[in-house]
Order: sequence, then structure tokens, then C-alpha cells
Amino acid sequence: MLFNSLHFLFFLPIVVGLYYLLPQKFRWILIFISSCYFYMVFVPKYILILFLIIIIDYIAAITIEKIEGRLKLFYLIASLTANIGLLAFFKYFNFLNENLVSVFSLFGQEFHPVNLSIILPIGLSFHTFQSMSYTIEVYRGRQKAERHLGYFANYVLFFPQMVAGPIERYETLGNELKAVHKPLYQNFSDGFKLVLFGLFIKMVVADNIAPYVNQVYLDPLKYSSFEVLMSIFLFSFQIYADFFGYSTIALGCAKLLGINIMNNFKTPYLAKSVSEFWSRWHISLSTWFRDYLYIPLGGNRVKIPRWSINVLIVFMISGLWHGASWTFVVWGALHGLMLLLERYFSMLFKFEIKKEWSGLNVFLVIKTFVITSFIWIFFRAESFQKAKDMFRALTHNQNVYPLQLDILMPVIFTALMIMFDLFLYNSRFDSKLNTFKTPYRWAFYTVILFCLMALSGTQKFTFIYFQF
Amino acid sequence: MFKKIVIKISTLILILIGLNFVYNFTLYKKDLYEKSEQFIEIKNEQATTDIFYFAESSNFNVRENDSIMNSISEITNFFFPSLKLTAINKPAAHAGIFKAWLKSIDVKKNKAKAVIITLNMRSFDAAWRHSVLETQLQESVVLVQPYPNLVNRFLLSLQAFDNKTDEQRNKEMLDDWENVKLEFPFDFKYKTVREWDVSFGQYGWDLPDGSPEKNKILLTCHYVKAYAFNLNEKNPRIKDFDEIAEWCNKNNINLYLNLLAENIEYADSLVGKELVFLMKQNRDYLVKRYNKGNCKVIDNLELVNGLEFTDQTWTTEHYGYRGRMIIARNVANTLKDQFSKEYIKAY
Repeated sequence: MLFNSLHFLFFLPIVVGLYYLLPQKFRWILIFISSCYFYMVFVPKYILILFLIIIIDYIAAITIEKIEGRLKLFYLIASLTANIGLLAFFKYFNFLNENLVSVFSLFGQEFHPVNLSIILPIGLSFHTFQSMSYTIEVYRGRQKAERHLGYFANYVLFFPQMVAGPIERYETLGNELKAVHKPLYQNFSDGFKLVLFGLFIKMVVADNIAPYVNQVYLDPLKYSSFEVLMSIFLFSFQIYADFFGYSTIALGCAKLLGINIMNNFKTPYLAKSVSEFWSRWHISLSTWFRDYLYIPLGGNRVKIPRWSINVLIVFMISGLWHGASWTFVVWGALHGLMLLLERYFSMLFKFEIKKEWSGLNVFLVIKTFVITSFIWIFFRAESFQKAKDMFRALTHNQNVYPLQLDILMPVIFTALMIMFDLFLYNSRFDSKLNTFKTPYRWAFYTVILFCLMALSGTQKFTFIYFQF
Repeated sequence: MFKKIVIKISTLILILIGLNFVYNFTLYKKDLYEKSEQFIEIKNEQATTDIFYFAESSNFNVRENDSIMNSISEITNFFFPSLKLTAINKPAAHAGIFKAWLKSIDVKKNKAKAVIITLNMRSFDAAWRHSVLETQLQESVVLVQPYPNLVNRFLLSLQAFDNKTDEQRNKEMLDDWENVKLEFPFDFKYKTVREWDVSFGQYGWDLPDGSPEKNKILLTCHYVKAYAFNLNEKNPRIKDFDEIAEWCNKNNINLYLNLLAENIEYADSLVGKELVFLMKQNRDYLVKRYNKGNCKVIDNLELVNGLEFTDQTWTTEHYGYRGRMIIARNVANTLKDQFSKEYIKAY
């Protein structure tokens, strides 16, 4: 089910209403059924994959907790293999085959792979990673294995964040799901604000920018260099508004049930460096990779050359996590490379970014934004040829006029997004808004509500991160 | 807490009512124009027009080398020079869309005494009902639903209309062809569109050298898919037209179902008499169902000969000048009863 659908606008109040009407001991059943329903609206049969992940990790965690020694590691590896295996099959099977064909043809050989028409289950990368974090934590002894299958299932299935994160840890979401939540006015109020704001940035900002960007990426060489450049910058805001919007709605839905989930974004385009960008963008994924890949590889404790390789590995795998294509790997690798360059630069010139805002910091923010925007090209382009076309199109036609695409609305909404980012710097929408006096707060609601109802995009765009 | 929530919700409702007013006066017209300019045309014309002519592409499509390029509605208007006949057109429109157009007429401001609804036989078939164009057509009528305009605009953003994917629509079409049984009052070996279609695909037309004449087979199969169906009240387009007839009756407006000409000659020569039988049976069904009260059926089904169809390789109801003239004259002759004083013998 999409958050930005009429279906969901009926579904959510019903679930919230029933949740508070039911006694605590039955609430997990409601969350379980509603989450299954939420997921099954997409492709019903794929719920079976989720059930499989739940069963495997539920049993694996209990077993890991019970036993000692090498067998413990064996069960962990078995659980991880099952999770990664499912992900690999659904997401990377055809990609692997395509690469094998290329490798074979390089040596003049022919390879005829079995091509399966597999549809990637929505959000598979998210729930496998979430579930894996639980088994790893149990293995490390930091988390007790959950005995209640229902609660564990809800941890993997919890509908607000099941298809596009945030990727939660069991110690937070698991406990939140078990806690007794009373119907508090503040939760309703904050939840409503977050859902409203999330819908606003998805439907008004992202969906009004999307047609412009899609048009240019369809055939970049048809447009002027100016339009191509604008589409590169606009895509940065489109994907941000799209994903931040989703995460904010997720946060709001959970809040309506009294459940707190993590903030996935902290105004990432106000980052002064690429490394800071990654501490502000898709935080739940960055911390997942930090805790379960970067640190096990040695983290900061290794020598510079090894550390550099580790950073590149982490970013390339993070790229591959996003999509089964080399363009994503390059996207990740470029981020890794930029992060390394920044680190080398600061070591070489003993340069440190100061926290206080200054002209230099503004320059650094703009620099970081421009770098990430250009790297997004590899994320957005379906192929290297398309990415190449985008770069070629940047210089091929330098006449600004006549403009072929109407840029006014996308630019207005982007400006609005920038204003919101400045307004929300290091804080969350609901808490920021709570500092306003009532008339100003309601004036704000009125404007957002009007934009949402009267100015939202009218084309169908699903959330970009659903594909991962 | 409950009291607080009730107060907030009430405030919110008041704000929404206010916002709806703001929307009506600011953006509504622009949105409506973007999604379906036909509604604007209707609103602009309703106070001055005598006859509305609702049509799909048949009205304005002409043959490239036609000496006279007038549309069917324009030619019809030549017979009633003192009347204003306003054509509202949209390619691929059908009874469901015309129903929305009709209901958007403000009866208090309306001057029109007659509405002509142009329908072609294919608009009732499975291919048209499950066409991928349907999503766009359905989108075009969201803004005039009987809710506050701001709500309609929001529903449009939420894609809350019959918004199936192309795959879903194709599947529904194939299911119809596969499962809906064809009924004949005589023995006929093919029970469904699919069976009939496959038979031509397998044993169709051969070229003199014995190889299959692919284009002809394709066209034949298309004729089967386009016209092989039995019209009955389960057909959603019939339900739509029932509502149209009811609305016109209630508002004292004469309704004319302008049933377009189909290429009967080609249907006969390519597929055979069984298909022609179905076409005529469906025509008879429409005439029997709607030729009563203030509704008249203008039957053009067999009036235009095969060569007058501009598209010789498909079933489109687009006509050369002579074809458009024949239909216009037939429409004018039927309208003559209502507008006898205004009628002149133009041709």
C-alpha cells in the first residue's frame, strides 16, 4: 500500500483506532494483521518471503543464544546466508547472469544463462537488513533472543517502516512494540503533523519535480545544457523529498501508535562535507554499514591504505545494496572516493571544519551539494550510456533559451524545500512546530494543507526507494 | 483529550471549507483546463448553444485529400443555420465519459434542448473497455465528481480513480476474450472471442504462393476482437448510457444516440456473416433499448460503404467526406422532427 493513496488514508485511522481500543495483549495481533495487509496490497504472494525470513531468524536467534562455541557462528552464518541468499536471488540473479555473459564473451566463450523474470519484492533489502541486524546482535550477546514469535514478526513487518525503512534495531523497535502505549494527545498531534508534512514534501515537492527530471533523463541531448544542469540539481531535491517524505510519514504513523522510530534524515544538504552528508542521509543504513561491515573490517583502527580500501568496499557494497547495476556501484565508489579525498586533504593541510557558521562553511555546504548532485547522476541514470549522455549534454547546447520545459514550479518547490531545511536544521518538524504560538502553527497547517490538496503532483510516482 | 481533539478537528474542517473557496477562485479552472478542457467548453457554451454534439475522434478526423474538410457536427449544423450546434470532442471517449460531460451541464444555465451522443459499436467491446487509454480518460473526469473541488483535486493527486496499470487492463481484456461466451441463435463452432480469433490466426488468408497473408490475418483477427460480443445490460457502457438517458429525461432534454457506421462490408468479407449478425444484433439491442421517450437512436451502422472509411487497415470510424456527409444528413433528418422550423435542405 502506498502512503500517498486514498487506501492508506482510510487504513491508518482504522488501525490507530482499533489499536487503542484493544487490550495491550492483543495489540500485536492487530499490528501483525495490518502489516501483512499493508504489504499484501502490493504483491500478496511475496509475504511468504517475509514469513520465511522471520522464521529463519527467529529460530536462528534462539539457537544462537542457547549454544556456545563454533556452532554459534555456524548458525549465524546459516541465518545470514539465508537472508543474503534470498536477497541475492531476487535482486542480483539476473545481474549476475548478465555479468557472466560479459565475462565469457571477453574470453570468446558463449554463456547461456537461465533468465528468470523475477520481480523484486518491495523493500526486500530493507527487511533482510533489519532482520540480519537482530541475529548479529544476538550473536554478539547484546540482544536477548525474542521468544514471542508475534513480536519478532512485527519487528520485521511493522507497516510504517517495512518497505523503505528506517532500518531499525531490535533493541529500539522491539521494545517500542512491546511497550504499553496509552492514547496521548501529544502523540496524536505530533503524528498528525509528521504525516501531513511527509505527505507535503512527497506529493508537493518531489512529485512536482519528478516530471521535469524524468523528461530530461529520457533524452538529455534534446535539452539545453542549462536544463540538464537544472535537472541534475533538481534530482537531488526530488530524491531527498521523496525519501525524506516517506521516512517522515513512517515516523508519524508510528507516533500515532505511540511508537518511536528513528530519524532517517537530518538536513543532509546542509552537510559541509561528504562524510557529514552520510551522517545525515539515510542514517539507518549508514549506521548499519558502520556497525556490521565497516567496524568488523577494522574501522578507524587500521592503517591509512587499509582504511581507504575498507571505505571503498563499504561504499561500493552500499551502492550495490541500492540496485543491481554497476551504475549504483560507481555511485557508491564515487562517494567513497570523495570521502577519502576529503580526509587526505584535511590530514595534509591540517584542515578542520568549524561548527560555527561562516562564509567558508556556506561555501563548503554548496561544494558538498554540487558534488553529491553530480554523483547522483550515476544513481538516476539507468545505464552508463545515459550517464555519459548527461555529462555530454552539459556542454553540447549552451543556449539557455528557449526553455523546452516549464521550470517554474519545480524551482519554486525546491526553494520551499531549501527553506524547510534551513528551518529544520538539526531538529524535527513536530518538535520545531511545537515551539510556535498557536495562531502561527495553524497558519502553517493551513498553508501546508492547501499546497497538499491543491498543488500536489497529479502523475503517479511511487516512492523511489521502494525499488530497493 | 477527547474535547480537545473534537475542537481541533472542527477547526480543521472549517479551514478546509475556507480552502475550498480559495481553490475554486484560484486554481480550479486552470486544473480543469489541464485535465479536461471539455468541461470548460461545456460551461462556456451551455448558456448559448442549442444542441450539444458529444463525440470521439470520428467527428473531426478527415481524409487528407478531401475537398471539403468539415466535421460531421459542422455539416449537421449546415442543416440548421439558425441554431448553434456545439461539438465537444475527445479521442477515444465513450458513454462513461460523455455521462460525466453531460452531468457537468448546469441545468439552470443551460439553453440546449438536445444532446447528441456519438457512439461507435467498438466502444462497448472488451478492447475499448479495458483499453490503456482508459486511465487517462478516467483521470479527466475526477475534477468534476460530486465532491468539493478541493477534495476532487486531492483525489486526483492520490490517483483515486480507476487507475489500473496497462498490464492489469490487458489482463482483463484477455480474460474477457477467453471467458465471455458468445451467444448465437444458431450453431457456431467458436464459443469465445479467443477461439474465433485463434482460428483465423491459424487458418487465415494465404497469399498465392501459399504463405500466410499476415496483414490480412491481423485485420481479420482485429475485426473479431472488435465486434464479437453480445450487448446486454451487464455491459458497463450500457449502464452509463442508461444514466445518460435518465438524466436527459429528468432534465427535459432530447437525447440522440448517434450510432456510427461500421465497416460492415469488410467485416463480412474478412470474417463472415456470423460477425455481421452480431453487429446487427447489437445495433438492434441499442435501438430497442433506447428508441423511446425523449431518446432516439440514429442508426448509421450500415450506411457507409467500405471504401469511405479513411483507414483501410483498421476498424477506426473515420470517414471521408462522403461518409461524414451521409452521417450528418442522417443526424439532421432525425433532428428535423424537433427543430422543423430551423431545418433547411442544405444538401
